[in-house]
Amino acid sequence: MSFMQPSPVKYACSCGILNPINKLFFCRHCPKLHCGFCVTHEIESHFCSNCLENIPSTEARHKKNCCANCFDCPCCQHTLSARASTVPVVRKSEESKDAKEPKDGDSTGEATPPVPASSKPSAVPTTKKMYYLSCLSCRWTTRDVGIPDQGVATGTWPDNECLYQARFNALVEYFQAVVLQEKQEKLEFMRRKAPKQHKFPSLTDRTGLTVSLIRRQIGWNDKVPKAKAVITPAEATAEVEELPASIFTEQLNLRNVTTIAQRHSQPADQPTAVGSLYPQRRSLWIKRSLRCRQCEHNLIKPEYHPTSIKYRIQLFASYHVPEVVMVRCEQPLVPGKSNAILLKLTNPTMYDMTIRLLTAAPPEDPQLSAETTRAVKEEPISSSPLLKTVGITLSRQNSTREVKREVLDASNAEIVPLESEFVLSQRDDSKEFDEYVQLPTEEPKFIVWRKGNKVLVRLQFTPDAELPSSTDVILGFFMQYTYVNTVTNAPEKKEPTTHALHSRVFITAGATEEKAN
Amino acid sequence: MPIYESVMQEKPPIVLDIGNAYTKLGFAAEAYPRKIMPTEVVMTTTGVRKRLLDYDTQEELYDQLVDFLQTIFFKHLLVSPKERKFVLVENVFGPTVLRETLARVLFVHFDVSSVLFVPVHLIALSTLAVPTALVVDIGYSETSVMPVFCGVQIMAAFKDQSYGGRAIHAEIRRQLVETGVKESLLTESVLEDIKVRACFVTTMERAQAFAQGGEDQPTAAPGVDYIVSDNDAVIQVPGVLRETVYEIMFEDSNERDSLAHLILRSILDCTLDVRRALVESVFLVGGGSMVQGLLARLRQELQHLLAKDPFYAERFHGELQFKFFNAIGKQNFTAWLGGALCGATDLIQTRSLVKETYLKSEHVPDWSNLCDNRPTGS
Repeated sequence: MSFMQPSPVKYACSCGILNPINKLFFCRHCPKLHCGFCVTHEIESHFCSNCLENIPSTEARHKKNCCANCFDCPCCQHTLSARASTVPVVRKSEESKDAKEPKDGDSTGEATPPVPASSKPSAVPTTKKMYYLSCLSCRWTTRDVGIPDQGVATGTWPDNECLYQARFNALVEYFQAVVLQEKQEKLEFMRRKAPKQHKFPSLTDRTGLTVSLIRRQIGWNDKVPKAKAVITPAEATAEVEELPASIFTEQLNLRNVTTIAQRHSQPADQPTAVGSLYPQRRSLWIKRSLRCRQCEHNLIKPEYHPTSIKYRIQLFASYHVPEVVMVRCEQPLVPGKSNAILLKLTNPTMYDMTIRLLTAAPPEDPQLSAETTRAVKEEPISSSPLLKTVGITLSRQNSTREVKREVLDASNAEIVPLESEFVLSQRDDSKEFDEYVQLPTEEPKFIVWRKGNKVLVRLQFTPDAELPSSTDVILGFFMQYTYVNTVTNAPEKKEPTTHALHSRVFITAGATEEKAN
Repeated sequence: MPIYESVMQEKPPIVLDIGNAYTKLGFAAEAYPRKIMPTEVVMTTTGVRKRLLDYDTQEELYDQLVDFLQTIFFKHLLVSPKERKFVLVENVFGPTVLRETLARVLFVHFDVSSVLFVPVHLIALSTLAVPTALVVDIGYSETSVMPVFCGVQIMAAFKDQSYGGRAIHAEIRRQLVETGVKESLLTESVLEDIKVRACFVTTMERAQAFAQGGEDQPTAAPGVDYIVSDNDAVIQVPGVLRETVYEIMFEDSNERDSLAHLILRSILDCTLDVRRALVESVFLVGGGSMVQGLLARLRQELQHLLAKDPFYAERFHGELQFKFFNAIGKQNFTAWLGGALCGATDLIQTRSLVKETYLKSEHVPDWSNLCDNRPTGS
């Protein structure tokens, strides 16, 4: 396996992009390979990555996609943690009842400055827990910027207000009124321009005379009073902020000036001084579900709960498509010299597979192509029997308009196709532990080794003769395999159907040899 | 915000301002963007970070945009783009290829319901609620000047020059290499950090003294030791550099294309009647305009040119005093803020390019395209 490095074996997705098998999905309904590019992404649930709390989408929107309890460090964007400190609280004995109340409730959230314990001789020294936020990565604390300690660890931290919120609200209201007014005027204009098509033309319709007559009869003003949108416009001034004279003489301490990343993490005020940094609410994360664009079936659906890493639906390609692993080349790669590569193929499904390795695309399974096109068309209707009988097609707005790309055929070696097909037996986990006995069976010549659902195949190829030295040799072939589909699109058929599918596989076999000097 | 929550539909439109260096993203009717992030993508195939707008083929741009928007939607905004409305802040003179590809990505790949393109200069002005101003956008790759009068952009008077954040970075690199700093240390992020944290725009008198050289140079602002934490190295940033890197915007050359010249020439290209109004309302937006001392210096330069330069003295008459607007919020997201205001109104319903219209012709209407601007329609 290739761990933490790009895999040498790539599969061509149905959209034409090459991907390793672990980045591909397999839609059982189409049935085709899909990659992250050609599926629709949807948001399943919001959660906070720090406290792992699930947050409903309406609440997430209301809180601006931020967690209510967790904060990020404004200095280094690490998570802040609440630290407790004990503060001596001095209480006079008669006041203890009054003072007790806010302590129990802890709802005041106001910081009581530590009173010196020796202020009154009759005082009973007790302690109270106060919290501050601290960054374990860069040692920033809320005390650095003068935010008072809080009585409870979460929930009471004040937000920094946006300074111009009132002005912005006024602007929004003003522009909405202006646009609305414009729209009404336009409507009025259209009404006058296009009179009603009556049998008898009437003057009053055209002039709006009736309305004004009625208004006068009631005793109202003749004109409809119009609410005019008003706002005080901004004023330009000739007074501009001059450079402070101290800038030419004073030493600049870069530690007190924020970096651009720190400013941008606080987009509302973007402070330049480190002292005005403020803890930032941690933004939420999401769980995604993926959907096939053609048939609108879910490919991936995670479990709802944030702590669970399991899936409700998981159609990863590695559970359905035989996996090809490059083992080794028999000889060093020399242009124009025939060579052989060993490939290990694994069958991940519960059914036997018949596999052929070809150099040209096999003909499309006729039954399959007919079935899928029908399925794609009929899928929307079949959900509603009423519509089916009426015969209305509610074509769902799925975007199949995405342009299909040509597979980038980069292969630069001649492959000798395997002379016959071979069977790859089903996956059986219990067999893994059986004693391995090589049965003397009749095997095709190209099969080197076979155990359970795995087989080692020897594939002959010749790199192109005119390849320059130390370029990657890429083998490209079609792998045809039989796939037993347990889900069917047609409701009347219940037994699993077998399809002959094929996918294009590209293997980067390695670089050609340096020319011996 | 109870009043317009009823007006607005269930899902607030997404507002995007994809700049050359930073992308501002958020939702309509919110007072500040959710995030300001570098306009960079990590290539899925190679794992290399690259700028979004560096591309060779259109297909490459398409793939990069898909990757980039995917991270925006699922990592930052956490909403599904399907059936959403969008407000995109765009450069009026931006490349058509980018605009068309962006529309194709949104409509074809992400299945969005409508996109409203808004021009950056005009929409930045809406945050002031004034109809007339000379909008100067100082971005990463360029600085552009667009006069707007009574809500109409005067296209004929548009001016731009290539000094923006990128040019400043190049200047810092040049000056530091001259002092003997290894070039390998000066990555783009280090240069940006030095620019943002240490540099400022000096006054005109000092700048002229520095430029002339000679004996009586003013003592420069104190230098700074900048620590490159990745390499355990220290770069000594001289004080002269801190003061003079921004001089490329005010360079006095025969080209006469400094920022002050750009503004004055843009005003001169407008008709006589609007000039005074424009002089009295200059509005600086874009991340580049947030540097300390820029406004003061610009005002000084403009007044100096008006009084002393014979070319302008002949053409401008009367007592002219340049006046400047103060942006609400920070200048680097002013254009985004305008988009957020626009997305909160009914314009998103009436003026957007909807999916059905787009799919009919696969074309985004453009002011510069004659097909979309024929008076007879069709």
